[in-house]
Amino acid sequence: MVASLFHPLNIFLLGLGGGFVIPLLYRLGKPWLHAGFWLALAGIVAVSGVSLFEVYQSGTPIEVLTAGFAPPLSINLRFGLQEGFFAFSVGLVSLLGALHLWDRLKGNYGALLLYLILVMGIDGMVMTRDLFNLFVFLEIVSIATYGLLALERTPAAIGAAFKFIMATVIASTFFLLGTVLLYYVTGTLNIDTLIAEREHITGPIGATALLMVLACLILELKPFPANGWGLDVYETAPSGVASMVSVGVSAGVFFALWKLLPLFEGQLGLIAVSGGITFLFSNLVGLKQTKVQRLLGYSSISQMGLMALALALLTEIGATASIPLVVGGLFINHLLAKAGLFWLAGVLKQDDVDARTSLSGRPLLLGLLALFMVAIAGLPPFPGFWAKWELVMQLTSLGRLPWVALILAGSLLEAAYMFNWFVRALRPAEARAGAGPDLVALLPVYGVALLLVGAGYVAARVSGAGALWLFAPLVVGVILYAFDRLPGRLKAVLMLIAVALVGGWLAESAEGIAWLFAALLLAGSVVIAAGGLYRDDRRPGYYPMLAVLLISIPALLRSATSLEFFYHWEIITLASCFLIAKGRGAGPHVLTFLLFSLVSAFFLLAGFAGIAALSGTTSLTALVTSGPDATIAFVLLAIGFLIKAGAVGVHVWLPGAYAEADDDFTAMLSAVVSKVAMFGLLIGTYLAIRSEVSIEIAHGMAWVGMLTTIAGALLALRQTDFKRLLAYSSMSQLGYIVTAIALMSHLGWVTALYLVANHLMVKGILFLAVAGIILRTGTRDFAGTGGLARAMPVTFGLVAIAILSMSGLPPLMGFGGKWLLLSAMTEKGWIWLAVVGLVATFLGFLYMIRLVAGLFFGPRPAGQADIREVPLALIVPQALLVIGILVLSLYPKLLMDPVSAAIDPQFAATLVWEGMSLYTIYGTWNPTPWMIGAVAVAAILGVIAWLVYRSGAGRRTGNLARFYGYYRSVIERMLPPVATEFWNGVTGFTLATAATVRQLYTGNGQTYALYVLIYFLALYAASLGPAGFWIGG
Amino acid sequence: MTGLPVSTILLVTGFLLALIGLWGMLTHRNIMRIIICFTVFDTGLRLVMVATGYITAGTAPIIDRALTTAEAASRAIDPIPSALVVTAIVIGFAVTAVMLGFAIRLYAAKKTLSIDAFTESKW
Amino acid sequence: MMRHIVVALVVVLFGLIFARLIGSYVELSALRPLATQYVIEAPRDLGTPNIITGILITYRGFDTLGEVAVLFMVAASIGLLLKKDETKSTNAPTLAAKATGARRAAANTPAAKAAAARAASVAANRAASATPASAGTALAGAAASEADSAEAQAGEPSEIVRTGTDVLLPLIFTFGAYVIVNGHLSAGGGFQGGAIVASGAMLMLLARPGSRLNVALLSVIESFAGVLYVSLGIVGLIFAAGFLDPRFLPRGELGAFVSAGAIPLISALLGIKVGAELSVIIDRFRS
Repeated sequence: MVASLFHPLNIFLLGLGGGFVIPLLYRLGKPWLHAGFWLALAGIVAVSGVSLFEVYQSGTPIEVLTAGFAPPLSINLRFGLQEGFFAFSVGLVSLLGALHLWDRLKGNYGALLLYLILVMGIDGMVMTRDLFNLFVFLEIVSIATYGLLALERTPAAIGAAFKFIMATVIASTFFLLGTVLLYYVTGTLNIDTLIAEREHITGPIGATALLMVLACLILELKPFPANGWGLDVYETAPSGVASMVSVGVSAGVFFALWKLLPLFEGQLGLIAVSGGITFLFSNLVGLKQTKVQRLLGYSSISQMGLMALALALLTEIGATASIPLVVGGLFINHLLAKAGLFWLAGVLKQDDVDARTSLSGRPLLLGLLALFMVAIAGLPPFPGFWAKWELVMQLTSLGRLPWVALILAGSLLEAAYMFNWFVRALRPAEARAGAGPDLVALLPVYGVALLLVGAGYVAARVSGAGALWLFAPLVVGVILYAFDRLPGRLKAVLMLIAVALVGGWLAESAEGIAWLFAALLLAGSVVIAAGGLYRDDRRPGYYPMLAVLLISIPALLRSATSLEFFYHWEIITLASCFLIAKGRGAGPHVLTFLLFSLVSAFFLLAGFAGIAALSGTTSLTALVTSGPDATIAFVLLAIGFLIKAGAVGVHVWLPGAYAEADDDFTAMLSAVVSKVAMFGLLIGTYLAIRSEVSIEIAHGMAWVGMLTTIAGALLALRQTDFKRLLAYSSMSQLGYIVTAIALMSHLGWVTALYLVANHLMVKGILFLAVAGIILRTGTRDFAGTGGLARAMPVTFGLVAIAILSMSGLPPLMGFGGKWLLLSAMTEKGWIWLAVVGLVATFLGFLYMIRLVAGLFFGPRPAGQADIREVPLALIVPQALLVIGILVLSLYPKLLMDPVSAAIDPQFAATLVWEGMSLYTIYGTWNPTPWMIGAVAVAAILGVIAWLVYRSGAGRRTGNLARFYGYYRSVIERMLPPVATEFWNGVTGFTLATAATVRQLYTGNGQTYALYVLIYFLALYAASLGPAGFWIGG
Repeated sequence: MTGLPVSTILLVTGFLLALIGLWGMLTHRNIMRIIICFTVFDTGLRLVMVATGYITAGTAPIIDRALTTAEAASRAIDPIPSALVVTAIVIGFAVTAVMLGFAIRLYAAKKTLSIDAFTESKW
Repeated sequence: MMRHIVVALVVVLFGLIFARLIGSYVELSALRPLATQYVIEAPRDLGTPNIITGILITYRGFDTLGEVAVLFMVAASIGLLLKKDETKSTNAPTLAAKATGARRAAANTPAAKAAAARAASVAANRAASATPASAGTALAGAAASEADSAEAQAGEPSEIVRTGTDVLLPLIFTFGAYVIVNGHLSAGGGFQGGAIVASGAMLMLLARPGSRLNVALLSVIESFAGVLYVSLGIVGLIFAAGFLDPRFLPRGELGAFVSAGAIPLISALLGIKVGAELSVIIDRFRS
């Protein structure tokens, strides 16, 4: 009895019976009407859910026969795992969607019955195994959509609906004609029989018929450029209806394509190209869009293109085992996230991303928006991430690299316009928005958000990344978020405890060099994070997110596979991004940061995929074993890591992000987070060591590092904002580390680790000190500071030690690092690098002097008489870091023993660099002469610079500030912002292209109909060639 | 008799009708005319569909005095296309009705039925 | 001009595709196995001489059910679409005013309604010159101006139309009923008969512009017919071999009026439902 109650056939009994009953219930009264509607809709969902469970348990699909005859005589339907998955998930979303649309549905029996039958129709499209019945369901779905589109009465909406009807009618006419012609050719309409007898579908009629059916399905998925009609509807329809078109109707059509794909074996390439073009161009044109629903429309269309592309390509290369994860993952990701975004846009009544409705005062809404965007962008932990990973892996393994490039480019564009919306929502509200939407209105949105999280976990399990520790950072974040109403300092303490405990647990399992990094970074993060205690405001959401970030770092370091590594990498990127966004002026820089991070991540993804393709495994140990073929993979990985390291040319994201983040968070970014890229570069370098062209590549990377150092130093000199100066100083110092890694020798690596530890502590101190100074003086400009040595003696002392250590002067631990680097470069014969290194040292001295002098010496600016020492909460972490510097300076063995233990096993036996122990290094390369030489050169250069300055007329005063002012203008004149201009040019060009391409969408329904017909002709011509237009052909 | 099979003649007629509809729906600016052209297009294709079910010298698949059960298999035309076309006609009617409904709305909004007037949303 | 060239090119290319289809079309000389099965088994198993009806109502009954749903949805869609605006948006006020009261122009209004279907097309051509009458709204205005001219010529429908209607209407309804109930025996069936009935309704509305269809009753009938249809399907599921299987009633003698299991019953329901639906749709267009 229960079995028959939940038989899939009941979906149709409930849908149609319920639909027919609704007008009768309406006469009985609204409560009856509403109860009947919900009962039927919930019934449909329950039936599909229970049936899905049954199918999952038994492993055999449920066959649904009608009319008491066996197919092909009568129509049959099938409810298998895939069908159940689609039907159930669409059902769930439509249930929530009805809730969202309730304002328009309630009491309106016409709309209620249309909605109900629409859901049933989608299930029918998914389940039916009869081609003509598929057409009938397609029409049911279409007409229900047409009817629901009538809910919005504005002229634009009605006009859009009419365009939609024209286009879809043409498409479905193709389907109908194709179906009947297929019957003429084969004598059957049963899909299974058609597939079984695929080879009999030949000749002009058979080929054309197949193409007509295919064209209809592709057209219904709204391919670029024949999709203006779809976009118009997305833009103008009520959000609830638009979401059903985007996720529900498209799901039905997509499933039909999937179902019929065996018929289109010859057209797989065509489907892939169509999907690829749609994915790329929809996302490109989306860049210029500011109307929220139309923006979501572009995104919807592109997602369908991506799914079609993935389906066709995976089928073509025979990776059918990956299809459930990739297609299923992309589908559920799109389904839930897009529905959520449409509804959110509807709830907020936001038409335009530029609208003045700001979410900055509503963290919960902002969080929801962020969650959906992260999912749409294919970032973890959501299903789209796991699906895209698998897709890229599969495509790379068979050498489909152009496709990978296309997918990544499209994804980047999509992320750009989606997050643009997010960033605009972050802007501080100009007018205090009224009361937020009530809980009931948001209920469906929360619903899909929860489902999305669940789906992400399931997808991770399917990807083989279901281990609980992977989710530890997120779980901790969620738990901390539950306590977000507590006072700020209490939350900070809780966060510190959580990071120390969970991070410690995670770091424990890391090995070798990774363990070293983990220990160093974890300790550094706890100390620096403690600096956050100086603020007593609540900072909603800050501490949970910081916990996610800080715990993800050791988690990344203990990763054993590239998937785990990449997953944590993305989480770190996202967490950093959201934390930067907390900064008051961070708005525009968040997007830059995110986009460069995504580009970096895509390079990594491609690199990892390349290695996996070569070695056949995603284990990180494959990095060590890959052979010379891995050069390209190494270059990809290196580019990815260098972008995140802020290497010259791609550094444009760095200053803004560092300068505009919260002051204490900048310390974290510079000291800790930047080191993750260094670790990546370090492990990636194994590949280069293995490959035969390693020397050239390594040399190139060393140059990149050194140029970064120089550029960073020059840019730092140009600043009058001392926080920005420190930001560029970070860039400069990271350049040294890159160069050290590029040495690819034992010595280089020891140096690199040395510099990492040093930079961590130094930048931690400096940024925390700056945070305190900004707190006290309220300015970030040298013009507003000076003479603070007396007011802040402790800070002055701490900063002095840090600067000393950064400069590399003895006796502190910084001593050694740089000079070892210089000597190692000459040892390798990289003379010019060493020379440039000397110049860099000089420039470094210059800006360090500038920093100390500008802050602590000279006259006090007016009105700063009662400046006090910075709060203790900032002093203590700095002091701890200074103690760290001192301890490691006095007892270098504390660092060197683990470094030695960690590095030696990293080199494969054949690559051991002469097996020299660390203690002999100082014996072989005594840094002292190098240091003396370098300091001498710097002093000479400094004197020359001073003389040049003094030689000019009117510059006779010995004022240091004027000296820097003079050179600032010199640098500005000689060093135009090439990189910034270049990237602005790239952006401008992309936007201009988008603006040109979108002229296609004239808004004229007849033109759109013409596009649809031309699209068919194009598909036809591409498939059959010119012969297809000739009678005898 | 031209020598052409009956169904081929129907096919030619149907396709010609469809082409006329196609031309009309793409060149007329008046929404009512476009809708009419859609129905012409559809009707033409329905003709084609029915024609493909024809069996040489066949008759309607209804058992009566003209067609006994015994000879049905050899003399009846293929019933499936006819059955499909009944459904297709109903659906075509439905779509036309919806289009007309929207046309009334469009006219109410702008007092014109020119398709060029409804380009609010674009790009 | 450019546009016409492109359109011409598109039409020519489609013409070539169609020509190629015709070129490779070969008229079938014998039924394929599946069709043969239908032709032989429909009379035998279902007891219906009209094989197409057998297919429509039984073998592909699921399609037919969907088709009924499509019609049903269209009636609802048109209702949604042409429902008078409740909120007073730009073009609402006069419509609302017209609805609430002010049933002045009693002579005009029915005529306007009757003409609405034609009005839309005629008005389109005269859109430029259409001078909205006092009614003001787009639709009402167009309809009113149309009505004015219609009135000038005819006013009420002519004697011929009215008398003709009186004579024809019973015939049309009877014929419709005949086609519906004989669907299993001869050419016809629920859809065809329902359409005939609805054409009668249309004629009635044209001839007597003042008359009103009882839409409420019709939609109740429509719904009941639909529910009964689904119920008959379920009865088939329980008492025969499957959903929509009509063989829970005796097959009877081939060719007899009472035969073919539940097919005539379903056919009748279909006819009632289609007739009611089409009439409702027509009436909605009128208002």
